[in-house]
Order: sequence, then structure tokens, then C-alpha cells
Amino acid sequence: MTPGIIISLYLALLVGVAVFSSRLLRQTRGDYFLASRGIGPFMLLMSLAGTTMTAFSLTGSSGYTFVKGIGTYGLMASSSALVHPLIFFLVGAKVWALGKKYGYLTQLSYLRDRYESPFLAMLLFPLLVGFIMLYIVMGAIGAGATLEAIVGLRYEFGVALVCIVVLVYVFFGGMRGTAWANTLQTLVFMVMGLVAFVVIVMKLGGPAAATQSVVENSDSVISSRAARTGMGKGEFLTFLLIPVSVGMFPHLFQHWLTASHAKNFKLTVTAFPFCLAITWIPCVLIGMWATAELPLDTNRNAVLAIMVSKHAGDLLSGLIGAGILAAMMSSMDSQFLCLGSLFTNDFYLRLFAKKEVSERAIVWTGRVFVTLIVAATYGIALLKPGGVFNIGVWCFTGFTGLFPILFAALYWRHANKYGAIAATLTVSLLWFYFLPTALQGGFLILDLHPVTFIFAGSTLALVVVSLLTPRPSQAVIKKFFPMKDSV
Amino acid sequence: MKFFIAFFIVLLFILRQDYWWWDDKTVVCGFLPIGLAWQIAITIAAGLGWWLATKFCWPKALEETFPEAEAEQ
Repeated sequence: MTPGIIISLYLALLVGVAVFSSRLLRQTRGDYFLASRGIGPFMLLMSLAGTTMTAFSLTGSSGYTFVKGIGTYGLMASSSALVHPLIFFLVGAKVWALGKKYGYLTQLSYLRDRYESPFLAMLLFPLLVGFIMLYIVMGAIGAGATLEAIVGLRYEFGVALVCIVVLVYVFFGGMRGTAWANTLQTLVFMVMGLVAFVVIVMKLGGPAAATQSVVENSDSVISSRAARTGMGKGEFLTFLLIPVSVGMFPHLFQHWLTASHAKNFKLTVTAFPFCLAITWIPCVLIGMWATAELPLDTNRNAVLAIMVSKHAGDLLSGLIGAGILAAMMSSMDSQFLCLGSLFTNDFYLRLFAKKEVSERAIVWTGRVFVTLIVAATYGIALLKPGGVFNIGVWCFTGFTGLFPILFAALYWRHANKYGAIAATLTVSLLWFYFLPTALQGGFLILDLHPVTFIFAGSTLALVVVSLLTPRPSQAVIKKFFPMKDSV
Repeated sequence: MKFFIAFFIVLLFILRQDYWWWDDKTVVCGFLPIGLAWQIAITIAAGLGWWLATKFCWPKALEETFPEAEAEQ
């Protein structure tokens, strides 16, 4: 009963944040979708950390460690600590500058302009929406499994509850409400993650005893979780490409545009690895320790929540449960908002708005689309299409495949629309071809993750086709590459 | 300095591939399997590397102030 009350109070608090921030909303597109580009360094860090650390980082990491061992940390966390700041440094800050200079609201508006191709934007639109929806489904599955394990709420009701709460604060608060809620949620899930860690460690007799029970376990399957025996070396290497996906997340692109100044990125670039460590280390250790505590056929999506409810009291279970939900919702909100933004700005306004549409009507169109997406997400989450980690990795694979299009747009003046279209088609063909196998479980080609081939194919298509076809117009070169070292 | 920082970051990418600890279950600091401890060290070193990068390699062009675009697209 107590965990249920605490989680309900937390969800009510989030709705309160949304209602409060909605009072500051100016009912313009720029304010609803980008908080009028006024986000400071700390909120930018919290928004980006909250958005990138999701069900994948909590339930996914502990569940995958439970199945594959401590290599999970190296697969995603240390690689992200190297790659994410690199992308924020090379891509995020530059995108912010271009966005401010030319008034871009979305990733597609920039790519359409840079590549002089509305067709490319239309081609990318369904692909990005599909990838993000898969990402949202991952969060919804994680939230449903968490509520089921901690509160005993049936999976379908848990998913519905979380979707409705996120919908309410995105609907009313827009980007400002989302940024505020994300800041709150990121702090909550980091603090609660540490609390969960300390409580579980104490119940297991201390960290040394907990690790020993795994390392010295007579069952070789369990003791193997303290090493990387079941993991391929090629797979480990090629997982470096998975975090590259953040560069192409449309919702992250949108968060980059909200910064009030380029220097706000400095704190994010520096502090991001530490945020990753704070979130991932406890989850990976709990996942490893769980192998000596739970049957090996336990639902991997629920490992973290089961460990919490088993070892923490009612009060702490409620608080930690709220923390786990915070991590999931802090990504879902940005993704819902981003889909609304993409739909209104890059689809509805371009194709269907025949006359002048008021800013208020545009904001409402975004809200209606977000509501439809929430309903679709709920339906897909009920089907449970796969484990949280596998869904996450496959969704990231798609984004990584598309990343060369954005990177070349920023840094290669010869990159043209034909190359970008060829890269997009290559990614869609390969991604959908591998999709059914990928959702069944991780699979490798020549010991390498398939992302390697999708990324290489996309890059090759972009470069070869761009070199064989006419260069971008002088107007584009002049606009985006005026001189060295300037934006 | 820029060269040193770039070298340091590239070195971290290489050191992340710690194949030498692959099957090693040695425990360090009393509770961390060595493979995990190494990767945590890489994460912390990455934080240091990126701090140096923002300090010494931050593109000055980004510090310009841009007039806000009139039309949002």
C-alpha cells in the first residue's frame, strides 16, 4: 500500500509541475517546443541526462547484466562516456548556433534547408517517428514491469498510468514543463538509484559479501557474470557505435536548441560521464548480485524492481520505484513532445495547412498528435515486442545509421541531397530487414553488431553518391560554410 | 595542448577495449570485478578529458552572439 501512495504522490507532483509551468506558456511554437531558447547550463545538463538515461539505463542495464554479466557497463556506459560528450561538443553546440541563427525548430527543418530537399525531410519523417516510437515503447514496457513488481499494479494499468501522466505534463507544460520535470526527475532517479544501491548492499551483507556470492558461486553460469565470458570481443568493440545514435535523436536535437548560450554545453560535456557513472554503476552491480539471489529465468525487465521490493521496506520501495519511473518518464516526455513538434512543423504545416494558421492552432495540433502517439504507444507496449535492452539497442542502431547525414551536413560541404537520400534508403532497407531477428534477441554478423554494417552502408552511400552527383548550390555553401571556424 | 587532449581521448577509446581482463574475475577494492573497475576508471578519465577539452579546445566561433532569427521554421 505504502509504495502505491508514494508513487501516486510523485506522479501528482509531476502533474503539478506541468500545471504551474503551463501558466508561463506563451502559446507560441517557439515557447511550446523550445522554451523560447532560454534554458541554462544546469537544466540543459539535467534535461540531456534525463532524456538519454532511460528504462534502458536502469531496468535494461540491470536486466542485461543479469543475463550477460558486468560487460554490460563497458558495452554502453563507458562507451557513452566517451561518445556522448564528443557528440555534444562537435554536433550539439554547432547545431544550437545554426538553430539560433536561422530559427530552426526541428532537426528536419535544418536538414531540409541544408540539403535543399523537402523530399529528404519527408523520407526521414516516418523513419524518425518509427524509431522514436520504438524508444517510447521501451520506456512504457520498463514502467509497466516496474509498477507490476513494486506496487502489484497489473502491467496494462501501469503502462496506461505512466503514459497518461507524461501526456498530461507534456500537453500542458510543453518544453518548459518538460525541462522542469526532467530536472526534477533526473535528480530523483540519481538520488534514488544511490539509495537503492545502499539499501540492497546492506541487506546483502555489504558489497564485498554480495560480490563474493557471485564470484565464488559453485554454479559457473552465475560466477561468469563477474566477467565477460559470454560476450564477443568484436561485439564489445562495435558497441562503440551504438551511443553515436544520440547525435541523431530528434528529441535531443530539440533540447540542444533550447540552450540560451553555446557555453551552456560546457557543463554537459564535462559532467555527462559522471552522470552516467552515478546511474549505471549501481544498476550493473545490482544486476550482477541478483544472479545469486533470483532464479536465472526471472523476467530480466523486472530484475531491478524485484531486487528493490525484496530488500527495501515499503517506504523505500515506493521512493525507489518513483525514481525508476522518473528515469523512464524523463525520456518519454521529450520524445512525445518531439513527435508533436516534428508532426506540426515538418508535416502538417508543410502539407496540409492551406492558409495562415495561428500559433495557438499549431500548438493544439501538436497536442492532438501527441495524444494519438501515446495511444499507439500503449497498444504496442501491450504486445511486449521484446526485452528492454534489445528494443533499445535496435532503436539506437537505426539512429546511428542516420547519423552520417547530420554529421556530413555540418562538416562536409560536398554532402548533397542525393547522398543523404541514398543513405536514408540504405538505413531503412537494412534496419527493417534485420528487425524481426533483432527483437528476438541480440545477434551478431561475423562477431560484429549489425550496427557496424548499417553505419558503414549509410556512410558509403552518402559519400559515393554525393561525389558522383552535382554539388550543393553556392547559396547553401555560402550559408552553412561561410568561412573556416565559423558557424 | 589541443594535440595532447586529442591524444588522451583517443587513448581512452583504445584502452576501453580491455581484452586483457576479459575472463578475469579478480575482485578489486573489495567488491568490484576488475573488468568493471577498469571501465569505471575509463568513465572518470573521460570526464577529466572532456573537462580539458572544454577548457582548451572550445571553438571560439560559438561564443559569438547571434541575432535571434525572426522567422522560426
